[in-house]
Amino acid sequence: MLSTPAFMYHAEPMAYLIWPLVQFRDDQEGEKVRFGSIHCISMPKNANRYYWWCQISGWGFLALVMVLFSSTLDQKITQKLVGFLVIFVFAGILTTHIFREVIRRSGWLLLPVEKALPKLLVGVLLICVADSLIRFAFIEALDLSTSKSKMDFISRLLATTFENGLLIIPWTLIYYFYHYIENSRRQQLDTLKLEALVKELELKTIKAHINPHFIFNALNSIRALVDENPVRARTAITELSNILRSSMQAEKLETVTFEKELNIVKDYLALEHIRFEDRLQIEYVIDEDTLDQPIPPMMLQTLVENAIKHGISKQIGGGKVKIVSDFKDNYHELMIQNTGYLNGARNGDGFGLASTKNRLQILFGQKANFDIREIDGNTVEARVLIPIDMSK
Amino acid sequence: MIRAIIIDDERLARNELKKLLMDFPEIEVIAEATNAAEGVEKIDSLNPDLIFLDIQMPGKTGFDMLSELERAPNVIFTTAYDEYALKAFEVNALDYLLKPVEPKRLADALQKLQLEEDKEPISDHPISVNRSILGEHDQVFVKDGERCWFVKLSDIRLFESVGNYAKVYFGANKPLILKSLNALEERLDEKVFFRANRKHIVNLRLIEKIEPYFNGGLLLEMKGGEKIEVSRRQTVKFKEMMSL
Repeated sequence: MLSTPAFMYHAEPMAYLIWPLVQFRDDQEGEKVRFGSIHCISMPKNANRYYWWCQISGWGFLALVMVLFSSTLDQKITQKLVGFLVIFVFAGILTTHIFREVIRRSGWLLLPVEKALPKLLVGVLLICVADSLIRFAFIEALDLSTSKSKMDFISRLLATTFENGLLIIPWTLIYYFYHYIENSRRQQLDTLKLEALVKELELKTIKAHINPHFIFNALNSIRALVDENPVRARTAITELSNILRSSMQAEKLETVTFEKELNIVKDYLALEHIRFEDRLQIEYVIDEDTLDQPIPPMMLQTLVENAIKHGISKQIGGGKVKIVSDFKDNYHELMIQNTGYLNGARNGDGFGLASTKNRLQILFGQKANFDIREIDGNTVEARVLIPIDMSK
Repeated sequence: MIRAIIIDDERLARNELKKLLMDFPEIEVIAEATNAAEGVEKIDSLNPDLIFLDIQMPGKTGFDMLSELERAPNVIFTTAYDEYALKAFEVNALDYLLKPVEPKRLADALQKLQLEEDKEPISDHPISVNRSILGEHDQVFVKDGERCWFVKLSDIRLFESVGNYAKVYFGANKPLILKSLNALEERLDEKVFFRANRKHIVNLRLIEKIEPYFNGGLLLEMKGGEKIEVSRRQTVKFKEMMSL
């Protein structure tokens, strides 16, 4: 008749077979993976159920195999053996479950492999000893010890710990690498999602920058001009191309010189002038020295477009758009004034205004500012303040 | 000959459309307007068969202008790009052209119009007919929030008074329009539309069932299932009309 520890050695190769069969699916329910500003719940809710199913069936299967072994080796299935197996399964599940909690709480799964492995190794050792001690305690308390395995405490502890190691090391490896693979797979997925989001945002900003209504109206005016004033039609096409080109490049640059931006705006207003004719008057008051100042790309363009959309195009008699650029104290001051009223109609545009301020402060710090207000009863003024970088 | 008015705030856009319309000798552009107010004025004075209408104009939009009209003429909308408007079109299958206008699309739109007209000629109203009374085949433009419809009066089952508004029942829709029942009654053809009680005007052609009711009144069941009570006083009138 085999002593219990010896039996365990026989069972050991089986353990290697069994562990990989019972796939560990741990839950990380509620754990949020931070990725930039995107939060996502990373695991399905029933992951916890899988984990327990795997734990119980894994250890249970192991116990079953032992029972089969004992019966084929003509060992009687005694009450003691059953009691031993119950303790074996219970101690195994208890210790590995505690180990799992430790791994999860201390976030070892998120560490790089070379940092996680030593920690896991120490953990495995402690768990194996703990498992042995728990089993001893129960065996003593319930008097289940087999008379033939009488050894002194230390060697028994060593033997049982070693035997536990043969089960718990594979457990740990499977647990760890399952999550290792799962994590990298998830990270890949998150990266893809992020890329898609960035693309979408890029497209949205391009769309927000250039109003399709403007493009098609401009094209329509140009078509009418082809017969009426071919020379003007040709320049109009150049102006439109400039605007389209710069709006596509805008996403790639953090800032552009005011001069560059102003040229786009001049093209834009020239095109709108074709459309509105004498209903649109344009005035520029530009301090030449401000031309080199950096500004966010398409910002001025967006503001001028709003001035047309919410101001001029709403007035039956049309109106005036005035662009002012100068230095005031230590700021580069940009003002866009248009005929019209500041009212509820601006609400739909709230996104544009909020993002303008946000963008300015990200690029130029908290001192940069943007506001919009009504002056003189029938004029709306948008004002941008950008602190001057003295180091340049 | 179809007499048309172009309503668009942009001179070049109007010119471009006129140029395209030169290929269609059956269309005569009799006037142009640059905004909604001017549009209403010209439509009222010239009574065109067709209008080309821009949606985004200073002051009022093309939709707002149409809902001000007593009687909606045939309309072809022209717009550069307007997501909301396009949605309204898709829902109600109004005809529209996207600027810059494709000549082929214009031809299609005009042909569709011609076909409709062959079915129900629009210009055969005797001139003597009082223009302030809406005929059965006249259509009205109804706008309720984001949605709009062209509705033939013959398709309207019922007008119901709701405060200062009137609820218009047709098909599965019942949008509100800013008109009082009394004002409507004056404009509607009394041979077709009958004031059943204080709150309702019914279309006599769209009554499903007539039943006697309390106090010698009547209960009408409309084609859409609505049950309308005819007041005692009106019942007398109703019986007179129906018995000739």
